[in-house]
Amino acid sequence: MHSFRVLRLCAVKRLSVHCGLVLIVLLAGCGRNERMDTVYTQRCLNCHGVSGRGDGPMAASLPVAPPDFRQTVEKKGNPQIRRLIADGKGLMPAFEPALSASEINDMLQMVRFLSREGRQISWWEKFDALVVAHCSIPWEAVLGYDEPSAEKKL
Amino acid sequence: MSALWVWGFCRIGLAFLLSFASLAGAASAPHSALKPVERRQVNLPTADFSLTDQGGKIFQFKNLRGKVVVVAFAYTTCPDVCPLITAALRQVQSKLTVEERKNIHLLTVTTDPEIDLPKVLTGYAKRYGAGLDNWSFLTGSETALKSVWQNFGVGVKRQGRGLVDHTPLTAIVDRHGMLRVAFIGSSPDVPAILNDIRSLLAER
Repeated sequence: MHSFRVLRLCAVKRLSVHCGLVLIVLLAGCGRNERMDTVYTQRCLNCHGVSGRGDGPMAASLPVAPPDFRQTVEKKGNPQIRRLIADGKGLMPAFEPALSASEINDMLQMVRFLSREGRQISWWEKFDALVVAHCSIPWEAVLGYDEPSAEKKL
Repeated sequence: MSALWVWGFCRIGLAFLLSFASLAGAASAPHSALKPVERRQVNLPTADFSLTDQGGKIFQFKNLRGKVVVVAFAYTTCPDVCPLITAALRQVQSKLTVEERKNIHLLTVTTDPEIDLPKVLTGYAKRYGAGLDNWSFLTGSETALKSVWQNFGVGVKRQGRGLVDHTPLTAIVDRHGMLRVAFIGSSPDVPAILNDIRSLLAER
């Protein structure tokens, strides 16, 4: 009986440590980071602009003005945005042949990040940010095994 | 021997001319405001080349002799001026009559063979609605492409996976294989290209 209680206590402790770690990693991954900035600067900024308002240096030369992320991104789901980045749309290139899944995810996070600047965000959007951040954690490094989707991509 | 010398000087001249221009308007230079397109009239011979088209078939440039050829240099994942160049060519193609389409051929030569495999080029052509009866998208080995880039005086510098700086050249080659007009810049003027190819078509 006593040993069972000790075991249960250990399991609860272990679980809470794991939960705490996961929460820290999730929250740490929610902000804007260098990887996101780099991929956005290299591939998106020319048309979408520094703040994602569709006012990049090339925007004026395009036949259709790039969208303002603050008005369009909120209505789209992550898979939809990921598909847009991968397959392209209009004059926007299809980035899938050149970018890894994690780079596309960084781009998606950056687009989400810019779309939230200067406006009130709802609870589900905060939750959504956590989910996106969760997806971009290098789980193979954290847990010591390869993420199946990353393996498939290679 | 002297003909070879002349040919050599011509190529050096063209390379110098276009490479100099490339410094001013390279594709993929991040955050560059677009420079106006420059149109230059030249009269330089082009060498034959063999590459692979979007369908994976061997493409021989000399087979286009007798046709006016528009040659553009671009790559599919370009986040800069290439989409504008391809869109301009699409407009040119859409404005050609059935008869003109038989005598005019459009070529898009990749500057990024690492990414632009025939399958990727097929998807690119489809996205732009390119009619493949008189428009070929070409790729090949780095070595084969390098000689084509050099032949047209296009500078190419790889910056990363799917990121390439290159001279934004759209060239018009006449029926005899002579490079006659070079547009250097982001979005070549569609009426100007149409005007040039029609006047070259009228030449015999």
